[in-house]
Amino acid sequence: MGESNLLKQTSIGLNMAWIFGFVLLPSLLVVAASFMERDPVHFVKQAFTLFHYRELMDPVNLKIFWNSLSYSSVTTLITLIIGYPFAWYLTRFGKSKRALLLMMVIIPFWTSSLIRVYALMTLMKANGVINFMLIKIGLIDRPIQILYTDFAIYTGLVYSLLPFMVLPLYTVLEKMDMRLLEAARDLGAKNLQIFWRVILPLSLPGIAAGCIMVFLPAMGLFFIPDLLGGGKSLLVGNFIKNQFLTAGNWPFGSAASVMLLALMMALMGIYLMVMNRFNQSGSART
Amino acid sequence: MPVVSLQGVSKTFEDHVAVDNLSLDIVKGEFLTLLGPSGCGKTTVLRLIAGLETCDVGEIIIDGEDQTQTPACDRDINTVFQSYALFPHMNVFDNIAFGLSLKKVPKEEIRIQVEKALDMVKLSGMGKRRINQLSGGQQQRVAIARAIVNQPLILLLDEPLSALDYQLRKQMRLELRQLHRELGITFIFVTHDQEEALTMSDRIVVMNNGHIEQMGSPKDIYEEPVNMFVADFVGESNVFDAEVVSVNGPDINIRMGNVVKTVENSKGCTIGQWVKVLLRPEDMTVETLTTEACPEDVFPGEVEEMIYKGTTVELIIRLDNGQKIFVLEFFNEDAEDIYYAVGEKVCVSWFKGWEVILCDG
Repeated sequence: MGESNLLKQTSIGLNMAWIFGFVLLPSLLVVAASFMERDPVHFVKQAFTLFHYRELMDPVNLKIFWNSLSYSSVTTLITLIIGYPFAWYLTRFGKSKRALLLMMVIIPFWTSSLIRVYALMTLMKANGVINFMLIKIGLIDRPIQILYTDFAIYTGLVYSLLPFMVLPLYTVLEKMDMRLLEAARDLGAKNLQIFWRVILPLSLPGIAAGCIMVFLPAMGLFFIPDLLGGGKSLLVGNFIKNQFLTAGNWPFGSAASVMLLALMMALMGIYLMVMNRFNQSGSART
Repeated sequence: MPVVSLQGVSKTFEDHVAVDNLSLDIVKGEFLTLLGPSGCGKTTVLRLIAGLETCDVGEIIIDGEDQTQTPACDRDINTVFQSYALFPHMNVFDNIAFGLSLKKVPKEEIRIQVEKALDMVKLSGMGKRRINQLSGGQQQRVAIARAIVNQPLILLLDEPLSALDYQLRKQMRLELRQLHRELGITFIFVTHDQEEALTMSDRIVVMNNGHIEQMGSPKDIYEEPVNMFVADFVGESNVFDAEVVSVNGPDINIRMGNVVKTVENSKGCTIGQWVKVLLRPEDMTVETLTTEACPEDVFPGEVEEMIYKGTTVELIIRLDNGQKIFVLEFFNEDAEDIYYAVGEKVCVSWFKGWEVILCDG
């Protein structure tokens, strides 16, 4: 009893120390830094100011947030549209085939996402594989611009984040009681009506979870717009990175980080509220 | 014209034959029960009628129209599922309104119909409840209301009472009968519970291995089982192996060990044939042995067990030939004394004509 208690306390203690030392403390430092003045030598000067937040409200900087939101939203929408039918058909396969297909969704994660983005770049280059193939089959006669376009950014974001949409959707759809679909059909519902009135409402928790899991990382994945977009479109992630590493303006970068954090927390809050309401109104659990 | 006519219908799942060349006419307005052990194909027959399965061979005529290929959503048939299959994301009202709203019935009309259906299943005022706030019995009622509100030609019920406790089940049996009378809809009920089948049905279809063993009124099925399967499955029976020793006009003499008895030759058995004689426990008579020995046409035996059950007494009697039989005696004014001591010698018999003879024993 004493021993297991000791083990319990040590493991909890270590975790708490880790979270405190490497998550909470740095976050607090960032929050603190965002209210300080800029110092070219020591990065921050200990003096309270709201200057950087006022600066963030500048339309030029707000546009960066707006850009990020729209990129993330479109990415979320695309992954949902691609991921939903994929997850649905995944549940239609036999058990062994399903495991194999799920495996194929997960395998790319065995490689670093940065490396995968570099691989995408070689595919999209002017003299890359895609252009080569398109010319070979005669669809185009000179290379088209793929890399450094919005298309490339969306491809990279969707490619990287699709599994985060598929997995929660798959989990919900797999648990769905097929007898409910039969009951709907028995009551006169055609396929499309079954989808809108039964399948979709019952998979809302999966849709919400998937959207959150795609939307939030999409806001912060700075290297994808950097590498695939050629750094032309400035997103929050790149902006923060630039402030810290290039401009050396730590307080401003911190203020942007705090704002991003606040935005994400607000979204999580909305998500939790929606889930709460869903659970109260009789969830997928019977 | 039958409301549903199955003609030579077969259905195979992988290598398992669920329904084997089955033909069945269902009369409009009747309460028909498909009775059989699990895996006998009764639920598959129901799903074929609902359109949730398609048959490999045969035709399904519904209301005079060949609907073999008609999908479930286009058939004028609704089902009460064993698991209820209520929509968890809708409240009681929306569950019941589901079918009507698909048919684009005006909102006000839907409200009236749903209220009426709720009344019928005794759930008035519960429309706003969530499905997970309901007890099993209430969910059952919602499932029934959701089906009958569409006023289908036929209502299918797939073991709807199996998840309820005994008291509730008995009550629901009566309510379903009542509902059947009020609505005048054809009910097709699937169960493995012979008591349910006997108490509720106008007609019972006993199924086994994908085919029909016997069809008839509950009384026919219970009193005149056509084979050993039906006799075994519906109620309890004592079975004697016997040889036909002579035929006298409408009667035959049969020999069971040392006992020779005259019985009615209802099935036309012939001399020398081995037959099975079936007797329900309540059709046997027991008398305490008072003389030297039992008469020649009566089985001597010994009471092995007596179980008092209030209105009845159950006796397990070991006959002198070693066979164990089960006898049910009712209390009544004529025979006040139906108590027997364990070990008491008795004579066991039955009135001629109360037996069922199966010639191909």
